[in-house]
Amino acid sequence: MANAFIAEPDLQFTKDLIRAGATDLKKCYQCATCSVACRISPDNNPYPRKEMIWAQWGIKDRLLNDPDVWLCHQCNDCSTQCPRGAYPGDVLKAVRKLNIEQSCWPSFLGKLVGEPSLFVLAMGIPVVIVLLLTYFSNGFNFSGPTPVSYPGFIAYLPIQIIYSLALLFAVVSIRVSLKNYWNKLEAHNPVDVQSPRKGFIPSFIEALQEILPHTTFKDCEANNIRYAAHLMVFWGMIGLLVTTAIVAFNLDILHKLPPSRYGFLWVPIKILGNVSAVAFVLGLLIMLVRRLTVPDEAGNSSYFDWFFLFIICGTGFTGLLLELLRFAGSTSGTYFVYMVHLMFILSLFLYLPFSKFAHLGYRTVAITWGKSVGRNMTIPVKPNYVPPAPTEPEPAGEEATEGAA
Amino acid sequence: VVIAGPSRRVFEDKFTFDGVITERVNLREHVVWCQPPNEEDTQMLAEDYLRMGITKASKYQDRAKFEEEISKGILVIGGGTTGLSAAMGAAKAGYGVYLVEKEAELGGWATKFPKVFTGEPPYDVIQESPIRETAREVEAHDKIKVFKASRIYKISGSPGMFDAVIRPDGPWVEAVNKKQDGWRAAQLAREAKAAGKEQAASSSEEEAAAGGWGVGEQEELDFDHEMVRVGAVILAAGWRPDNPAQFEHLGYGKYPDVITNVQMEELAASGTIKRPSNGAPVSSVAFIDCADESAEHPFLFSSYVPNLVTLKQAGYVRESNPDSRAYLFYDDMRTPGQYEKYYQTMQNDPGVFLSKGKVVSVSNDSDQLTVELKNTLLGERLGVKVDLVVLSTGMIPVTKDSAVVNLKYRQGPFLPENPYGFNDSHFICFPYETQRTGIYTAGCVRQPMDFMQCRIDGAGAALKAIQCVELTAQGKAVHPRAGDESYPELFLQRCTQCKRCTDECPFGMYDEKPDGTPLPNPTRCRRCGICMGSCPERIISFRDYSVDIVGSMIKSLHVPDEYEEKPRVICFICENDAYPAVDMAGINGRQYSPFIRFIPLRCLGTINLVWIADALSKGIDGIMLIGCKYGDDYQCHFVKGSELAEYRMGKISETLQRLVLEPERIEVHQLAIDEYENIPKLVDAFLETLGEFDPNPYKGF
Repeated sequence: MANAFIAEPDLQFTKDLIRAGATDLKKCYQCATCSVACRISPDNNPYPRKEMIWAQWGIKDRLLNDPDVWLCHQCNDCSTQCPRGAYPGDVLKAVRKLNIEQSCWPSFLGKLVGEPSLFVLAMGIPVVIVLLLTYFSNGFNFSGPTPVSYPGFIAYLPIQIIYSLALLFAVVSIRVSLKNYWNKLEAHNPVDVQSPRKGFIPSFIEALQEILPHTTFKDCEANNIRYAAHLMVFWGMIGLLVTTAIVAFNLDILHKLPPSRYGFLWVPIKILGNVSAVAFVLGLLIMLVRRLTVPDEAGNSSYFDWFFLFIICGTGFTGLLLELLRFAGSTSGTYFVYMVHLMFILSLFLYLPFSKFAHLGYRTVAITWGKSVGRNMTIPVKPNYVPPAPTEPEPAGEEATEGAA
Repeated sequence: VVIAGPSRRVFEDKFTFDGVITERVNLREHVVWCQPPNEEDTQMLAEDYLRMGITKASKYQDRAKFEEEISKGILVIGGGTTGLSAAMGAAKAGYGVYLVEKEAELGGWATKFPKVFTGEPPYDVIQESPIRETAREVEAHDKIKVFKASRIYKISGSPGMFDAVIRPDGPWVEAVNKKQDGWRAAQLAREAKAAGKEQAASSSEEEAAAGGWGVGEQEELDFDHEMVRVGAVILAAGWRPDNPAQFEHLGYGKYPDVITNVQMEELAASGTIKRPSNGAPVSSVAFIDCADESAEHPFLFSSYVPNLVTLKQAGYVRESNPDSRAYLFYDDMRTPGQYEKYYQTMQNDPGVFLSKGKVVSVSNDSDQLTVELKNTLLGERLGVKVDLVVLSTGMIPVTKDSAVVNLKYRQGPFLPENPYGFNDSHFICFPYETQRTGIYTAGCVRQPMDFMQCRIDGAGAALKAIQCVELTAQGKAVHPRAGDESYPELFLQRCTQCKRCTDECPFGMYDEKPDGTPLPNPTRCRRCGICMGSCPERIISFRDYSVDIVGSMIKSLHVPDEYEEKPRVICFICENDAYPAVDMAGINGRQYSPFIRFIPLRCLGTINLVWIADALSKGIDGIMLIGCKYGDDYQCHFVKGSELAEYRMGKISETLQRLVLEPERIEVHQLAIDEYENIPKLVDAFLETLGEFDPNPYKGF
């Protein structure tokens, strides 16, 4: 038969998946409970069942070019309902990890971030850079000027240069990686749909329409707390980015001091920054606590998860602590935490395209691609859904949309 | 003593008195619990049951139990895993054992397998086969006499008195098998003819007589042999692989690298697994444990065992090389009980790839073989390239090829078989039983089993054999009427040599004298009474169960005259399944008509037409018969009792016509033991049917 798929299992790939957190993937016996349980899986070729057998059979090509793994929002409903304890949610997560690792550019950084034994090296790079900066600015003198002036503690120009370069690198790298990924999706998924494809821009806008309000995330009703937490973190981060951008614009372009100087807490920029920071940190705390206390619901956490959580929590917590210490008047404490905060910021920038942070990009790309080919259409399944009586038909089920982080 | 109280199925120990004839009347389940109190009809029902009980007790004939000098030795046929386990079990319990093995060495198949599933905790690994050690222990045991390279020439006699002739293996086996096959073919032809032409009843009887196996045959044993007398026989002759020629479409015979799972064991036993074609090491193997799409029953004899073997052999492959791949394709993956643990171990191995599927083709392009399948778990046609293809083969019981036991029984040298060649018995409740009392099957000759199951099965059969010799020594019946001391006695002066008893006995109890009269072997008897029902001359009786006893019970009933509007129905019920069901109906307080009188029979197959005539001429309005389910999945303890009853009732119309009665007055039903809910429905529906007719005109005669 010419149309038979010749499987050439990649044993190493299966082992990699197992190592990346999909420890029980071989337990799956294809009962399809996962695909039935999933509220957001498309009706046509639903995940995660097919991904499970591909993972068991080490069918690397398909898994690494499968947009469906990103349509999953990891509510973990499939894992809690799996009768065999195969944790399909963990398997998709592991596939996403390898997905990032294999699509990213430059690829050695993907290995660096994904490999537990290289943690010290991965974190060592930003730590050493910031330590050097500190040393050459002030020789580790944490007493610094009072009232607190960050440029007085560490020279501003090197920070500007290094951080801009890091950000530029991240942007270029993720751009290249995502382009890679888009091309793979195009090449490996022969599109077979009736309607003509949508263009990139309309698809992208449609994707944003569901990503920004997290509509699909909300459809994963099995894990509503996580939806709320993720929404807080997402918008908190955007708020903080906007704040930082405005402050940087003021400082670097208009050469004005931060507006907080003039109005303490009640200037709009300050309110935006503080509200965002509180949302960001609170959301992170919720996720952190749930991962630690209810792993059954929150999903098993792999090194890849912890690495990302470490960086993002470090950034958020040190940032908030920094402000609190400054208001408390602890000059040396403020400077020390500032230094640590800089380390986290740098790792956040540097590892954006390689850590779990990159899901921001990959999921957006996958959803956009899905929109463009009409992939992610689903009929929403409501809990305790009772089919309407024939006499009084309900309006047709609204089309669910997909949301992303 | 007649005890009127609870069902005879309870408090048996409290109401059994040594040396006292005890009859129990069931007033509790059959009257008190299922009828309203203080009713005239309830009172009449109880009185009728008492009348019948008293009649039965008064008709008891004091006869001695059957006693002979018997042997308690046990003959084990087959020295494989099962046979060794059975021999060892019996010997350890203190019984002398003769062990006959056709090969030159003990151990059977298990010696050829490098590893087996021994079933020791934690159940997730396979171990080296311990069979050689077991074989040494058996050979060294002073209670076991081993005959190697020998076979059974013949077995005659009956439990406690079997005479087995053990003869060294040789060309004589072919001749014996041929003779037996010839007899069987003739027998089948006769049966087919009898079924096709009912009118030739008398001539078919003559033919059946001609078909009696070895009747009146005298034979000189003028060859090297040993005759042993034993009390019971355990048949553990095992299996052979199914003919691999049926796998030609999967490349067997065409490509040297397509082999059977038996050949795979041999490869693995040789140390390293190499490709038969070029001797290169094997790094990928496809195990085909599934039927191809065209075949209807290609793995008829598979069961769970080939699944387990496949998993085990995948283990061989994976152990041989950490980068090797084992593909397992199956229709069903059956790993019951603890085997599930081993399945999980193998499933968790990243180098083991499992998928359901149907093989489309096996082809060879380039150096490797390509196996293509459809209906796979991947949801598409799937192909894999492998070094070796291993096909699961069925396990055929060796009794399909030869009788092995070579009985000198009138009903033939074989153990009766089901359509698949396995010995036929009551498969639900009596796994070891055969239809030849005192001969128990164990291991793969009974059903496909793995090593662990064979060992357990051998021990179980040894227990059955021990029960048999002990009960026989005490003059008692074996399972399922274990402990029954009565046995059939024949008043041969009135025998007409019709041979119905010799034909109909499901257990081949009767041999035949040269003049055609039956020759009973009481220790073969299971005491079902089917012969009693079959005998038109009514010459067969037990001391506490006979045509006369039941007939008298019927006659003892009080039948009100037609003006009282109290109809009477007799219901003959099988005491194995239907009787407990009626008890359960009482226990659960189900009410039904008080006009019914249940008469328990040992088996519905004991029904004698004269009882029907007795009942109808007494004025009984209707008669029900409730027996066990029959057919392919029969539940009758005596194999075909309820079927025979149905057959005999088919011939009752003549009697009814003579009496000028409607044929609807007799109904036959099948009931499983758990269907007690149906009893009120059956009874009440029957009474409703009878309501459409006038009362039996013979009332008051």
